[in-house]
Amino acid sequence: MIVAFDIIILIFLVITAVISLRVRDLLGATMVLSIYSFLMCLLWAEMGAVDVAFTEAAVGAGVSTVFLIATIYHTRRHSSD
Amino acid sequence: MILDLVSMLLIAAGLLFFVGAAVGLVRFPDFYTRMHAAGKGDTLSSLLVISGFALHEFKDFEGMDFILALKLLAICVFIMMTSPTSTHALIDAGYEDGIEPVIAPDAENVLGDPTSRQP
Amino acid sequence: MKWIGLIAVVLTGALLLSAVGDFPDFGDPKSPANGGVGDFSVSQYYITHTEQDTKVPNVVTAVLADYRGYDTMFETTVIFIAGIGIIAILRSHPPGGRRGPAHPIDATVDGDHQRIIIGITCRIMIPIIQIFALYVVAHGHHSPGGGFQGGVMLGASFILIGLSRDLQAALARFSERRFIVLACLGVAIYAGFGLLCLLLERNFLDYGVLDGFFHTDPVMARSHGIFAVEVGVAFTVTAIMFAIYANLSSKGRLDEGL
Repeated sequence: MIVAFDIIILIFLVITAVISLRVRDLLGATMVLSIYSFLMCLLWAEMGAVDVAFTEAAVGAGVSTVFLIATIYHTRRHSSD
Repeated sequence: MILDLVSMLLIAAGLLFFVGAAVGLVRFPDFYTRMHAAGKGDTLSSLLVISGFALHEFKDFEGMDFILALKLLAICVFIMMTSPTSTHALIDAGYEDGIEPVIAPDAENVLGDPTSRQP
Repeated sequence: MKWIGLIAVVLTGALLLSAVGDFPDFGDPKSPANGGVGDFSVSQYYITHTEQDTKVPNVVTAVLADYRGYDTMFETTVIFIAGIGIIAILRSHPPGGRRGPAHPIDATVDGDHQRIIIGITCRIMIPIIQIFALYVVAHGHHSPGGGFQGGVMLGASFILIGLSRDLQAALARFSERRFIVLACLGVAIYAGFGLLCLLLERNFLDYGVLDGFFHTDPVMARSHGIFAVEVGVAFTVTAIMFAIYANLSSKGRLDEGL
């Protein structure tokens, strides 16, 4: 566990979380959310929880992005609020 | 010692190409040139960095290290196949969507008229 | 409405933050998880006894599927219910009931030559992804991985067929009947192994009693029992992942994808 690395990843996590909430373009928000998942995966791998990191990489950054894009494709791309 | 130096050089070169890809992604004017920077720089730098790691693990010539290096090289092969394909898919989707490239005023648009493209 | 939402979020956040104060310190050796309650410590027990109890080197897999098997069974059930819920909400049958594929299954559908590069690459990569997914499921005893991860990767390989070619091409390999049956079968395998232990007069999901069933000693029987329930988890997760994609991408009609 490296504290400086942890802090950098945590700062980026907060930034990506806020951006994915604020962006009006839902496709962009989905991409930022996938970056969030990837950073979470990095954080867990770095803390030694490799099983959880593996799950996060497969589910969070991989499949859920596909699901969200499939949903956006059939609904609206821009958020109203 | 020599292997250590070579792996360090490979990783440093990979990081340099990563910086180039990032700068290109921010500074280039339109979608196609940005994808060009991202696709090429990302692929090459990932390959360089991971082969540097593989060489670093390989230096003792022992059983488990050899298997680890082999796994890293398998990742190299995976990236070499998937990264250019994903770049191609993105640029293809952008072309079908009718994204205009930035061209000089007197140059001919080789991509053709966007309205005549088949979606 | 926004103000009500804001108040709710702030209140929940304040409650959660106040609860953080009750946590033990990070890495505290006296915390309940690390063992300070009496002379019994949960994590110490797992770390020292997993190898002799179950012969599984990866402690996480042993805790997930053996010591806390009941928890994992209902996690699998939650995934199953989520998938069945999405199918129940989205699935719609168009009037007239078209049968079979809408157009022939081929890599070069509608003469689109641009798709050849993507199609060929996916055709090379998909078998490798599937073999790696099966490796992750089977090798969860020794390395990170297990039913959830392997199942998601196996489901993602079918999603990749649907993305790179057509939803019909993926459905030809993994039809609707097949994924619903597979999802049910996964939960049934998991619960069935638990029930089998119950029938042999031991606790639910106590695989040690299955030594006659697996033809090994009771310790190896626990290892084999973990593998059996991981396979059940992998079945359910694979089927549900593909079912969600197929229903979301075609608005529940399962005719054509994105």
